[in-house]
Amino acid sequence: MSAMLLNKEKWPDFVGRLTGKKLWAPQAGGDGMRFAPVAEGEVPALDYGNTRVPPKQAVFPQTETLFRFQVDGEKVEEPKLEEEAVLLGVRPCDARAMVIVDKLFSWDEDDPYYLKRRELVTLVGLACTEPGLNCFCTSVGGGPASTEGLDLVMIDLGENYLLEAITEKGQALLAETEDLLEEAKDDVAEQKEKIINESEQKIKRSVNTEDIPGGLPGLWEDPLWQRVSASCLGCGTCTFLCPTCHCFDIQDETEGFDSRRCRSWDSCMFAEYTLHTSGHNPRPSRRERTRNRINHKYNYYVDKFDVIACVGCGRCINLCPVNIDIVDILKQVEEAL
Amino acid sequence: MSANNYEPNIVAFLCNWCSYAGADLAGTSRVQYPSNVQVIRVMCTGRVNPLYVMNALQQGADGVLVSGCHPGDCHYMEGNYYARRRLGMLKDLMEFIGVDPRRFHMSWVSASEGHKWKEVVEKTVEDAREAGPFEGFRRRRIDW
Amino acid sequence: MDLEKLRETAAEVAAREDVKYLIGWKKGTYGYRVAPGFIEDADGAAELIFSPLCTANLATYLTLVEKLPLPRGEEPDDRKTALMVKGCDSRAVAQLLVEKGIDRENVVVIGCPCPGMVDPELLAEKYPETEEPAEVKWTDDGFIVIRDGEETSVSRDELLAEKCRLCRYPNPVISDIMLGEPVETWEPAEDEGVNEVENKDVDEREAYWEEQFSNCVRCYSCRNVCPLCYCQDCILDRLNPTWVNRSVNFSENTAFNIARAFHLAGRCIECGECERVCPANIPLGKLNRKLAREVRDKYGFEPGLDPEAEPFQASYKPDDPEDFIL
Repeated sequence: MSAMLLNKEKWPDFVGRLTGKKLWAPQAGGDGMRFAPVAEGEVPALDYGNTRVPPKQAVFPQTETLFRFQVDGEKVEEPKLEEEAVLLGVRPCDARAMVIVDKLFSWDEDDPYYLKRRELVTLVGLACTEPGLNCFCTSVGGGPASTEGLDLVMIDLGENYLLEAITEKGQALLAETEDLLEEAKDDVAEQKEKIINESEQKIKRSVNTEDIPGGLPGLWEDPLWQRVSASCLGCGTCTFLCPTCHCFDIQDETEGFDSRRCRSWDSCMFAEYTLHTSGHNPRPSRRERTRNRINHKYNYYVDKFDVIACVGCGRCINLCPVNIDIVDILKQVEEAL
Repeated sequence: MSANNYEPNIVAFLCNWCSYAGADLAGTSRVQYPSNVQVIRVMCTGRVNPLYVMNALQQGADGVLVSGCHPGDCHYMEGNYYARRRLGMLKDLMEFIGVDPRRFHMSWVSASEGHKWKEVVEKTVEDAREAGPFEGFRRRRIDW
Repeated sequence: MDLEKLRETAAEVAAREDVKYLIGWKKGTYGYRVAPGFIEDADGAAELIFSPLCTANLATYLTLVEKLPLPRGEEPDDRKTALMVKGCDSRAVAQLLVEKGIDRENVVVIGCPCPGMVDPELLAEKYPETEEPAEVKWTDDGFIVIRDGEETSVSRDELLAEKCRLCRYPNPVISDIMLGEPVETWEPAEDEGVNEVENKDVDEREAYWEEQFSNCVRCYSCRNVCPLCYCQDCILDRLNPTWVNRSVNFSENTAFNIARAFHLAGRCIECGECERVCPANIPLGKLNRKLAREVRDKYGFEPGLDPEAEPFQASYKPDDPEDFIL
């Protein structure tokens, strides 16, 4: 029971079956802004490109309470993470990004918050049939139908979705909804391959990333960094909307007589990111910060975890206000090698 | 708290030279005024950063009052003129953003106007009471 | 505008010995995109353009560039920065001069009279973005969209950006070199966006902004892109005291947006950059334009016109309106 068909008319029934779990899906009407919890009885539509805020926010919320405490007491409360969640319509690149980020959060110290949420989440993916303009997943080891990180993948076959379980969680989901599904016929494999091939053909942007990780250290002082960062505004758009960026900042905040320690996303493109108490900043300008962003994704991460920390989703290119284009930067790096 | 015994929290920024003395006069003259006001003394209304008003609302105030010397009477010559401009703009902005205009007031109360102070406080409290508890962008305890 | 003339002038300026570099617009990496270009020598000027897609306000780079500590014995590079400006951008320069954010002798302002920009989102909606270079040009009464080798004439009303409909100063108010003839100014449209929000009642307005501000991801691109948000020590970065908490929720997002909009009261020159760059599509322009309108109507003040003027929030008139005072 690995490949099943779900008639699109039965999609609302399928969604209705996933009760008892928190459902997340691309927000309806919100301009494709983000994944949001699905209200009861609501049927999420999947006809969107890619949400602006990646689904990482479901397992690594932008602001997360680590614990609560009271100023005058000794009472410390920890969050109880036990609600299972299902993310519907995750794109393959975003699912791959979670696998990449997992490596960091389980590296030297386990991050209990992140890992617990990861354990509780089931990712139902949707293979891309209409890749976006700036998608370049095939250049960084992914693909429009990559199943890495997904529990269950859905492929749009026109009338039906083809459902393939990748993990046990996915199997369980299929078993729960068995009566809505039909056994896939033999010709489906062919059909699927055709769709995936066509989709891959539609990806227009590419860059050869083979030599980049090895070459970046040698370009540390290269003039290219000044060139590509001159127009950078130093905002957090590229990093906040990146599915693999995972930096955070921890703060204590008070809410009346309650206090909490929470962590929020941080961005290496902000000046205060590396600012020392003394006032010294080891990355004093946008040149160093841009260099760090590229190096972190294409050099340090590869060194440490043997994988490029970029999945080619194209968000940073789409949304950069001043057209700083990571594919273009990588091409310049290649040329400079 | 039920609606009928709701008592609004008012934060009042009073200038040291006029309004604070005016409020003091009201006290020493045994003029009764509502006890909902928490007074914060500042040296001059020109020193009231408009973000104080925002922050007070964020941290649980239902209404904010800024009070200083009458125009021309400022101890620092012109502080209240600047305050008038800035806080006037702030009031417009707050209203535009959906904060009930009854939640923010500004007044001129001189050191000899104990009775005016009473009226101003009564008006502020009454307005905030009518507007109800401020929920808007108040800092709330957020779910995990 | 004559591109040859523009490039020629830019080449001359960039080649000047007292000019560090010239900031202009150049073709972006794909489709309609336009990127800021930093031109250091005469040759670089060949890639400059000026088209209805040059929405970016480059005046922001005047204050964005970091002043790093110099190695011992090295002299600071105090050559001038040349800057290409449209009408609205030039007002930003004028306002920076009012606030003494820059020195007049440190900038060379190249004025580009501006017939109006297209709205990038409207454009992409009707004529989708492509990976091949695409272009938009001005005609006498509208625009020509050139993409995939096809030219389409479009009427001005169809694509004109909102900020340009409302524009009152399409010609640079301050410049050292003016490129081409001033354009004929047009009757600014009624600001429907602000009216619409004003006409709601308080609760509806609150609901409206709650929906908008809840989307904010606090990337601060609106702050960073703004030519007039240039504090070295921004209250949003401050931790002691913490004016605005780091956590991202409706309360803090609203506080941030109030602080941002308020700090621009009487200073905003309505270039619309904040709204353009916002990845969450929050209509930030409405906040700024509302305040600009109040400043104009109630106080008779317009920022960014006269470099010698007094800053709005650091000045007063004895007869300022005080109808809101109890």
